[in-house]
Amino acid sequence: MKVEISALSHTFFTPQPRPALLDLTLTIPSGQFTAIIGPSGCGKSTLLRLIASLLQPTSGHIRLNGQTPAEANAARQVAWLAQSPALLPWLTVEGNIALARKLLATRLNHQMSVHEALQRVGLEDAAQAYPFTLSGGMQQRLALARLLIQNAGLWLMDEPFAALDEITREQLAEMLLELWQPAQPTVLWVTHNIYEALRLAGRIIVLSAAPGQIVADIAVDLPHPRREDAPAFQDLLREVRAALNQAVEVYA
Amino acid sequence: MRRWRLTGGQIALLIVLSFLLLWEATVRLLGVPVYLLPAPSRILRTLFEHPALYAQASLLTLGEAFAGLLIGLLAGVMIAALLTLLPGLEEGVMTLAILLKSTPLVAIAPLLTIWLGFGVLPKILITALLTFFPVLVNVLSGLQKAERHHLELFHSWHASRGEVFRHLRAPNALPYLFAALKISAPLALIGAVVAEWTGASGGLGRVMWLAYTNLNLPFLFAAIFILAAAGMLLYRLTVWLERRVIFWQSHPEA
Repeated sequence: MKVEISALSHTFFTPQPRPALLDLTLTIPSGQFTAIIGPSGCGKSTLLRLIASLLQPTSGHIRLNGQTPAEANAARQVAWLAQSPALLPWLTVEGNIALARKLLATRLNHQMSVHEALQRVGLEDAAQAYPFTLSGGMQQRLALARLLIQNAGLWLMDEPFAALDEITREQLAEMLLELWQPAQPTVLWVTHNIYEALRLAGRIIVLSAAPGQIVADIAVDLPHPRREDAPAFQDLLREVRAALNQAVEVYA
Repeated sequence: MRRWRLTGGQIALLIVLSFLLLWEATVRLLGVPVYLLPAPSRILRTLFEHPALYAQASLLTLGEAFAGLLIGLLAGVMIAALLTLLPGLEEGVMTLAILLKSTPLVAIAPLLTIWLGFGVLPKILITALLTFFPVLVNVLSGLQKAERHHLELFHSWHASRGEVFRHLRAPNALPYLFAALKISAPLALIGAVVAEWTGASGGLGRVMWLAYTNLNLPFLFAAIFILAAAGMLLYRLTVWLERRVIFWQSHPEA
């Protein structure tokens, strides 16, 4: 799904006007895995919320394959994953996926079974367990399986692994890439973690402190799996770091 | 060596027994006359001397309380559901509910007896009126207090209002329903007894009223003992049911 953003601005009135995004223009081609990185409070989450039609922009336009966010949402083409796995505690692992499948049934254009979705994230043996018996990493894997079964053209991910420990986070980043590979939906992935962004994304957008503006747009043309000690990786790391420093300074 | 550990139930029993013993000792040592405060042993003897009378009265009162609680529960849940699905109605209906709630029970009960007679119907209605409000308020706030991250998930699925209600709001309100039940179940007993007190052909309230007007305190306290036991049993039953229905509550939120 192609994402086109033109002259997008958003201001919160709570109660003083607080601009979160300012005149953002950005095009993301279909199938691109894009990481959005920036200092906290730079409007990264606001951007995702606008695309998810959870918020209405103050001005500017968003088009998702030519549709408005509301139209793409009505077509169930935009999948959402945030820091909380948002599992329903009264349903089993299987039940959580089955509910997503049931509510999305009219729009599913593929026939992935609940079992297959669980298998893809390695949770098939925990199908009858309840979410509260799972570790944080397993809960987020379950959320990934639920994301997968939606078969959406766009994945919006708001720091999905931020609450996890370092080792689990790396495993899940690896898994996310594996899950993304076959269908290659467009991914807009907000993260704080530069290494994570460089390991996974094909493109890194660096936003400035609020109101968010694009400071750098960096293509990451490295083959997977990426090695952190490779010179090209280190060069990009320096480039992203420099851009982030600039992002903080713009309004400091 | 094994350390002695008492369960919650054992501790409660111990406290009740100590209280009864202290009561018994006080009455005996100070020679309190029976028309002021009968000793527990005297009350229990009265209870066992008239098993048929108390069984019949208890059955009637508990039946009224249960029927009233059921009606109050159903009405509270249904109105809470309606107000969640049609939020425009909330302010108007809640104003009415508060109006009803603030009218004193002692004013409504005799009126209902005048209109509907000495049978069970006015008792059931008063119990329903009394138990309805905690259910409405609690369940309504449970239905409205869905977590933001859950609402965002259902939004991303473009779920309808009905689907959000059925799959998110309703299960989410279950703990609130049980919180309400813990308040409403003992209230149901009070409602039934107070209603009977204002005029009835039977029941524990009637027994208490008769005993009171004759200053027959052992008879009065025997009825109170039954009500206390029934209230405790009802509460325990609610807690037991709650643990089984809301199994996910004792664990951190997923």
